[in-house]
Amino acid sequence: MKIYDHIQNLGARVGAIQVIAFVLLALLGARLYYLQIVNGEYYSDRAENQRIRLIPIPAPRGAIFDRKGRILVDSRPIYNVVISNDGLKHASATDKVVDYSSGLKLEPQFVSERLSVLKKQNEFESLVLKENATIEDIAWVEAHSLEFPELRVELQPQRHYPLGTTLAHVLGYVGEISPKQLESDAYKEKGFRPGDIIGKGGLEQYYDEYLRGRPGYKKVIVDSRGRVQSELETVPPQSGQDLVTTIDLDLQMTAEDQLAKSVTKRGVVVAMDPNNGEILAMASAPSFDPNIFVKGASTPEGRKQIAEYWKDETRPLLNRAIQGRYPPGSTWKIPESVGALQEGAITVAHSNILCGGGITVGNKLTRCMGNHGSPPLDTAITRSCDGYYYRLGLKMGIEGIIKMVETFGFDKRSGVDLPNEKVPQTPKTWMKYVVKHEGKWSDIRTVYASIGQDTVVVTPISMLRAVSSVGMRGKEYIPHFLKEFKPIAAVGEEGDPNYIPAREGFTFQHPEPNIIELQPAQWDLVLKGMWGVVNAGGTAGSIRIPGFDIAGKTGTAQVAEVGKDTGKNKDHSWFVSFAPAYKPEMSVIALIENSGFGAANAAPAVKAMYESYLSRRDGQQPAAQEVAAR
Amino acid sequence: MVALTERGLRDFDWQTAVLAILISFFGVWQIHNAVPSENYWSKQIFGIVVAFIAFVVVAFTDYRRLIDAAPIFYAFGLLLLFLVLTPLGVEINGQKAWVRLPLVGQFQPSEFVKIPTVLMLAKYFGARKSAVLTLREALIGGAIFAGPLVLIMLEPDAGQAITYFPILAAMFFLSGIKIRYVVIATVLAAVMVPTAYIVGVKTGKIKRYQQERILAIIDPDKVDPRGYGYHTIQSVITVGKGGISGIKGDPETSQSVLKFLPEPQTDFIFAVTAENTGFIGCVSLLLAYALLLSRMIASARQASDRAGMLVIMSIVCGLAFQIFMNVGMALGFLPVIGVPLPLMSAGLSAILSTFIAIGFVVSVRMRRFVN
Repeated sequence: MKIYDHIQNLGARVGAIQVIAFVLLALLGARLYYLQIVNGEYYSDRAENQRIRLIPIPAPRGAIFDRKGRILVDSRPIYNVVISNDGLKHASATDKVVDYSSGLKLEPQFVSERLSVLKKQNEFESLVLKENATIEDIAWVEAHSLEFPELRVELQPQRHYPLGTTLAHVLGYVGEISPKQLESDAYKEKGFRPGDIIGKGGLEQYYDEYLRGRPGYKKVIVDSRGRVQSELETVPPQSGQDLVTTIDLDLQMTAEDQLAKSVTKRGVVVAMDPNNGEILAMASAPSFDPNIFVKGASTPEGRKQIAEYWKDETRPLLNRAIQGRYPPGSTWKIPESVGALQEGAITVAHSNILCGGGITVGNKLTRCMGNHGSPPLDTAITRSCDGYYYRLGLKMGIEGIIKMVETFGFDKRSGVDLPNEKVPQTPKTWMKYVVKHEGKWSDIRTVYASIGQDTVVVTPISMLRAVSSVGMRGKEYIPHFLKEFKPIAAVGEEGDPNYIPAREGFTFQHPEPNIIELQPAQWDLVLKGMWGVVNAGGTAGSIRIPGFDIAGKTGTAQVAEVGKDTGKNKDHSWFVSFAPAYKPEMSVIALIENSGFGAANAAPAVKAMYESYLSRRDGQQPAAQEVAAR
Repeated sequence: MVALTERGLRDFDWQTAVLAILISFFGVWQIHNAVPSENYWSKQIFGIVVAFIAFVVVAFTDYRRLIDAAPIFYAFGLLLLFLVLTPLGVEINGQKAWVRLPLVGQFQPSEFVKIPTVLMLAKYFGARKSAVLTLREALIGGAIFAGPLVLIMLEPDAGQAITYFPILAAMFFLSGIKIRYVVIATVLAAVMVPTAYIVGVKTGKIKRYQQERILAIIDPDKVDPRGYGYHTIQSVITVGKGGISGIKGDPETSQSVLKFLPEPQTDFIFAVTAENTGFIGCVSLLLAYALLLSRMIASARQASDRAGMLVIMSIVCGLAFQIFMNVGMALGFLPVIGVPLPLMSAGLSAILSTFIAIGFVVSVRMRRFVN
């Protein structure tokens, strides 16, 4: 061709262009091979991961009932404004704080906290921004769906405590899992995620595993902005198991009522079936409203209230029945009497010990409240003779008292099915410390320890458990609230990947009771003394119920230095009991803080409990009142 | 103009025409896959019909007469590019690349002005007689080229501007530029591009988002997937997901329908193709392009004059370059630059200018036995 003559190897140059073009196309082909054939699966997964989203469906928590099937805790549906974190990762979150807080009427501080929690979550997860959304909130979210596609409104169950402050310490409350808990291995193992609701305190915490349901989820396809395009499948949640407790709501109300009417409005009333350890009532005052923790955590007022609970000097969040440690005072004489008989410090035939109006150790006189001569054990119990026990304590020696502590299990938790129970402190606890700092365990400490002072502080539950075992002539049961967990059906078909197996119902697994060995005659002697406290001119004769013999023991625990009675630090008033004395059906303990004499303050509260019990047991008005009226 | 005589129809390059039509209708299908809910695909069919008419008209017109008139077209082209910069220009996505004229409507002059530029350069370089390119010739060619380039850079539309360079390169190369200059230019480019990048980053001339676009190619795992690397990463995912034969099942879950893939019907049409037709579809498309380019190169070899040959080869280089840039971007090894994929990307300006360009190729071929 003629044109090629003019130009330097034109044909080759055209050919070169052709070769370059083909090489470039081949390069594209090779890259395609790498992306589509070699890594096709990987990219397919990535594409799926970014378009498929699992939206959790929260499972309703199991409800909690009293022993007669009355509702103590349930869940009710509420609307929550939920925020998903896709698209937020990159966006400057501070821009949105103002929008969200003004739109949903939230504290800016709270919103930024939530956003920082959200940012720590895995991609495509979500978190509740506002609980209990109002109609206005829902309307605002709907109206701004284009502007804030990350917000949506969801119907979710919320825990509800219809009784408010009643039984609050026992029930506990629920709340979002804390960042600290999330990091702990125990929670990590169970696959908890931020925003999960767990039990905090009380039965809610102790039985969280069973009360909590298994969440379901919706598998949806979303677009690049996280908007749901279609639903692929729905896996329904499995509700948590319903819990039937041993609580008798009527008795509980009486207990709460008695504390509310008490002088200081601070104290504990616990009722238990001594035959098996079932707790019928447990009230601790002052109390708190669990609903505030559930509903208030996201509102400024609620947070303020929660902060006040924590700051309150009367410690309303403390479950005094299991976390309060008080010197037991004279109630301590019951287990000590059993210990003394067991160890042979006294015998049924020779149980008389001198009162002497007190005892002089070194050059210090420690007084008794009266002068009781040289009483036998039963009289010493009935009259609460300190002088007797000073000498008995010295006779047993501190080793004997420690042995008694071990016999009744005062050196351990009672084993009640509540979290954070405190262990009592006794000479066993202090022995090492005292010997180290004082060189030896002095007799005066033994004297004080023998009347439940100084080195002895116990929880009301541990004292009730010990004294109940005396009523049972040596059978000491573990106090507990669990009566039954109801079974829950399986979700889905077996073999299905989303199958959730059924959960079986179960009752409290009663271990063998702790046996405290004593001769029948020895039990009779102790019981006689306790019977006499109420029925034979003892320290609590004022609470006698004719036809229903209460056996009990008063206690007046000195708070300030022994022997002084100062205004604010008035003595704690105790009464621990069971009835009927020789075939107990119920045991009750009451402690009124800083109220003075046990007989005057705690005993009437206990009496009210028995009357309440009797009114329903016999289906009539308390027998006592009828008898008294006649 | 050669009348549509029997002879004219016999000489007409059916192979090129059929290939171009096939690719463009394959494109229509992919545009529909990209955005099934919108009518981009039907608009594209309309565009193809118009473009094909223009193609036939150009093919049956004597290219030599058009090359003779090149200065007029060239001046007109510069006028259009100038209009873009006036208030008649339309700004889309921060770029003033479009112009709206009464009766004609809205179009992108930079797409069309390639043709007058090619014609003008072909007229100049086709007329020269020396065997080796002289400096003077190179400077004049460069001046012709600079006219539209400067105006496009003022828009600014770097993507379009880049597609002009292969035209000039083809002109120089086929006008006998000494091979040593080619080698020097290649080496210089290989050294200068990374150097310029580093200097640009250091001096802050290359903006953060531009850097991220580059980094997304070098090391996609390190770039914020939701930042400026997003387009590249999503495109690569979309391509890879296609596998051997493309996605099966619900098209509602495709990357483009769920809006993960940006600009699916235009810049990233190849990713859509990859997702829907897989490796088989993509390789077929690349083969079709190879076939089309080969046929055009064959026509260049048979051209009856140098100007005709230059017209074809600069069009070939322009197309090949654009294919490589666009697909390379979709496959994640070239930065995101808005270069349409010839015959595939939705857009009337692009399809029309491409068909007109191919019309010139056919026109040259039909007149290979003249003289």
